[in-house]
Amino acid sequence: MSYVTINKLSKRFGDVTVFEDIEFTIEQGEFVTLLGPSGCGKSTLLRTLAGLDNANKGEIWVDGVDITHTQPQHREIGMVFQSYALFPNMTVEDNVAFGLKMKGISKKQAQGDIQKMLDLVELNGKEKFYPHELSGGQRQRVALARALIVKPRILLLDEPLSALDAKIRKNLRQQILDIQKELNLTTIFVTHDQEEAMLMSDRIFLMNQGEIIQQGKPEDIYTKPENEFVAGFMGHYNLIEAETAKQWFDIAATSKVAIRPESIYIKEAGRQYADHISTPKLATVVTHQLLGNVIRYSLQVENELLTVDLLNRSSERLMPEGSTIELLFNLNEIQPVGV
Amino acid sequence: MENNQQLLHKSIVYGISSLLLIPILATFIYSLSSSWGATILPDGFSLKWYGELLTDPRFIDAFGRSLFICIASLALATLLVLPMIFVIFYYYPKLDKVMNILILLPFAVPPVVSSVGLLQLYADSTFQLIGTPWILIGTYFTIALPFMYRAIANSFTAINLKDLIDAAHLLGASTSKAFLLIILPNLKKGLLASLFLSFSFLLGEFVFANILVGTRYETLQIYLYNMRQTSGHFTSALVMTYFAFIFLCTWLASRLTRGNNL
Repeated sequence: MSYVTINKLSKRFGDVTVFEDIEFTIEQGEFVTLLGPSGCGKSTLLRTLAGLDNANKGEIWVDGVDITHTQPQHREIGMVFQSYALFPNMTVEDNVAFGLKMKGISKKQAQGDIQKMLDLVELNGKEKFYPHELSGGQRQRVALARALIVKPRILLLDEPLSALDAKIRKNLRQQILDIQKELNLTTIFVTHDQEEAMLMSDRIFLMNQGEIIQQGKPEDIYTKPENEFVAGFMGHYNLIEAETAKQWFDIAATSKVAIRPESIYIKEAGRQYADHISTPKLATVVTHQLLGNVIRYSLQVENELLTVDLLNRSSERLMPEGSTIELLFNLNEIQPVGV
Repeated sequence: MENNQQLLHKSIVYGISSLLLIPILATFIYSLSSSWGATILPDGFSLKWYGELLTDPRFIDAFGRSLFICIASLALATLLVLPMIFVIFYYYPKLDKVMNILILLPFAVPPVVSSVGLLQLYADSTFQLIGTPWILIGTYFTIALPFMYRAIANSFTAINLKDLIDAAHLLGASTSKAFLLIILPNLKKGLLASLFLSFSFLLGEFVFANILVGTRYETLQIYLYNMRQTSGHFTSALVMTYFAFIFLCTWLASRLTRGNNL
């Protein structure tokens, strides 16, 4: 039996259904991500797992015990909030010690544990600081230490990186992953950022409108989107109408097909292409965006507007707007998607 | 040009301040002078009026009664308002709008009108309330409510109440423990500020005290009123003592609200 089992879990606020009949299992030590656009119910699902919101229906099992109706105080689930939720009247040390204090362990007794935890999140020396004296990244690490010190069975992360700037986000992301691996911590992470989800997760549950649309390893979700929503959410998939796909690629499509921007090539003279990279098409450059290492072209091919990503190898290769070029498609990467 | 502007602004501010200070200063000098009759300057200075005042047992009693009533009503207000605001903000945040209208009611009715209303309400009651300090405590509670509610509600909006309580719950704290250990310390500033503000306001309250209780329970303001026939120097000393006390309270309140030690 899996470590965490969610069985037909549903949540409504009044008449509004937030999510319905959610089912999944998580193994011990796994890092899973609930990914989805805002308002898809992922945060509420997380809060329901923590016991902060009550489920209307369904069961939550952890380690063979039904905890659906257990108070959050007794679930042994740790959580890190987007807003940090540090206690502003307490020092770093007192914040971290709070969970132990509630268990009747004094700060003195726990001194060793507190130090170890602050070492783990690299905050030693900040014991006597108040939250308002720390930067965002430091605050979130205090929150992490505070959640971890009581040795939770599951760690829930509710968009913990969203309020941080890019560089700190990158560092903290790695730090969370390292700690998670070191402690072999079962972790559920909530985010709307597909890149973050891809980088961190063992498995991703992609949610939309209160349902899990697709679940699987990051690479599977990225390369094999099951429907239009997934294709639209992961990367910048081009969706081509079934009719057009039939004409262009001679494949019997019954629904739209998806192809990733990096699976379309701009033909270079004198270069040999593999057999599956074929079906040349003429295209006009509509716009181009310089994203840094990648140039993203928006190209008009007959009636379709396609997005094509090209590595920014040299500035001479920048195709001006309005110019005509020849495209090649990687036929192996064309993916029929359901609606 | 810049300097001229500065000068103009400064002279306006100082002008108005000194204008406002004149009566206080005059009262102060009057309270210090031995006698000040048909002459431009007082005949001499002495502290005898203060001496007389501070040794008058009636004054000490009245002062004590005023303190008792103010502190009792504020204690009552704190005890009732704090948990109430917590319940409103944590469980029924929509009620905040209703409360904002409710707390204005004590201001909407002039004290003279509401005190007559209270007299009518409680005059025939089998339980003797009129003329006792208890009715005054109850009434002062309603006057203090708006100050308390607004200041504490502001403190509540300044913290992330829901997430803080959620975090405390997940770390094993009950709701009451979370309130005592986390929420209350963060409200300290707002609470103290509102307490001092209400305190100095209530200490100077006269209409309710006079109509509802009068001389049966002589508070500071009633005492001042009853002493109006005695020497003006004496009442000046009384006013100055009262003023100094309020000034101290206000100063303390602003000190406490300015500190950023949360």
